[in-house]
Amino acid sequence: MIEASSLTQQPVAENRASWSWRIAAIARNAFREAVRDRVLYNLVLFVLLLTAAAIFIGELSGGQERKIIVDLGLSAMLLFGVFIAIFVGVGLVYKEIERRTIYAIFSKPVGRGEFLVGKYLGLCLTLLVNVVVMGLGVSIALLYVSHGWDPLIPTLWPAVLLIYLELMILTGVALLFSSFSSPALSALLTFFVFLIGHFSADLKNLANSMNSTGARWLFGVLYYLLPNLANYSFIAPAAHGRAPEPGFLLASVLYAIVYITVILGVATLVFSKRNFK
Amino acid sequence: MIQSAATNSNNERTKTIGLSMVVVLGIVATVMLARWIDARRPPVNPNAVDESLYLSGKTARRLSLGFNGLAADWYWMRSLQYVGGKVINAPDNVVLDNLNQLNLKLLPSLLDTATTLDPQFLDPYEYAAIVLPAVDIDQAIRLTKKGIEANPQAWRLYQHLGYIYWQQHDYQAAGDTYGRGAQIPGAPNWMEAMKARMAAEGGSRSTAREIYGRMFEQSTDAKIKDMARLRLMQLDALDQIDGLQKILVAYQSRIGRCPANWKEVEPIFKAVRIRFDASVTPLDPSGTPYEFGKTHCEVQLSPKSEIPVR
Repeated sequence: MIEASSLTQQPVAENRASWSWRIAAIARNAFREAVRDRVLYNLVLFVLLLTAAAIFIGELSGGQERKIIVDLGLSAMLLFGVFIAIFVGVGLVYKEIERRTIYAIFSKPVGRGEFLVGKYLGLCLTLLVNVVVMGLGVSIALLYVSHGWDPLIPTLWPAVLLIYLELMILTGVALLFSSFSSPALSALLTFFVFLIGHFSADLKNLANSMNSTGARWLFGVLYYLLPNLANYSFIAPAAHGRAPEPGFLLASVLYAIVYITVILGVATLVFSKRNFK
Repeated sequence: MIQSAATNSNNERTKTIGLSMVVVLGIVATVMLARWIDARRPPVNPNAVDESLYLSGKTARRLSLGFNGLAADWYWMRSLQYVGGKVINAPDNVVLDNLNQLNLKLLPSLLDTATTLDPQFLDPYEYAAIVLPAVDIDQAIRLTKKGIEANPQAWRLYQHLGYIYWQQHDYQAAGDTYGRGAQIPGAPNWMEAMKARMAAEGGSRSTAREIYGRMFEQSTDAKIKDMARLRLMQLDALDQIDGLQKILVAYQSRIGRCPANWKEVEPIFKAVRIRFDASVTPLDPSGTPYEFGKTHCEVQLSPKSEIPVR
């Protein structure tokens, strides 16, 4: 819930400050709210998981504990991040509406778009803290099993960046759905997007293999419309010490920025039509 | 008023203690019941649990949603547990490269799924090259070739494929494979030497010693290293048995009979510096005494020795 005081108790001059200040204030509050809701407690579970893996996996893996720690750590990072993006993301707007605090917010000079972007960035900040701490956890686990420096550590971080970008896209999708539907339906739809996003190669193959022009178009449009999350799956190569090419990494970052901009644009358009007066 | 509050507090405490006891007793009862059920469950035939995998490798990869690396690890560990479980239940000591009697029919599918989920995961290919030839030679060759296709720069996969062909006594194919592996940047010089050795003396003991020696050096898997160590000891033992039998046959031709016991040939053992124990019985490379064979002019490994006979 946004602390309305942070937007209302500012001096008049500050109230007229730029939109970036207002977005930052909303983002800061969204982050604080996530911390207050104990979202970051998942880190405790993550640390326990990695500690257990670092100690016990050696006996089960036939000498592959380093690979398994990277796979397990990054997969847990993605899984926990997806849960946070979906379940916290879909409640970002809904909670403000349910508690009626949204009326107080919009009685102030805060735009609908600013509100959504602020909320979005707040959750992205929460996810950033989450993935950075988890990345450090995986690095420490590698140092432990290797009894010193491990060459997998530097190749781990580009994969962490790609996971974070995937989570940012998914958060945007959750926010888009939550701007016009209930939390349960939004969560379900976002989860479907996550699933289909990883099947995007199949969508393209399906489009190419269809005889009907209409069906080819439909699946072709779906392929380009839905986020191609398979591009952000770099966990297995990272576990073999392979880092993505700089060009691929840059293209993935650009794709995420453009896609997120479009999603937030659509979400703002939809949200602007809602009546909160 | 005060008395009523105290009574309420007592009631609350009683309720808490009662509930805590229910929880603790419930957990104890659950554990006891689980143990009772486990004790009465009919034993499972280890061969009956070899159900086919529900998912093919390709389907598993498609459904893995970016978690394919972790899923590959799971299939890899499942492969190890599957073989390990069978080895533990096996009546005799078995060596990793000679598990054909264990009915490992699920192993090719498990390794295939692991490598389809993560084609750059080299250890399952190595495991396939070592364990599968005794189980299903075609699958062993297919999986190793699949690994080479997915990892054309991994010279070690050529080493494994060469090893499979060598085991099949196909020294021509083995030599060609070592030769192709030797062309890969970073491949050690001995790969090229192995090609020549296959052409000249593919079936010799010295070639076998070179192959297992390189395997012992290169492998990161403790079980494969142990298998190579046992095979190297076996080769040493074969050399020793040949030497001992020569001594016994020479003794027979000189005395007219085989020795009644080892003590009779003690001076010869001392002269040629053969290692023996307090009862003058010669020791194999693992430190276990050899035994006489059908006659006292023949020598064989003791069943107590860790060195495999086959």
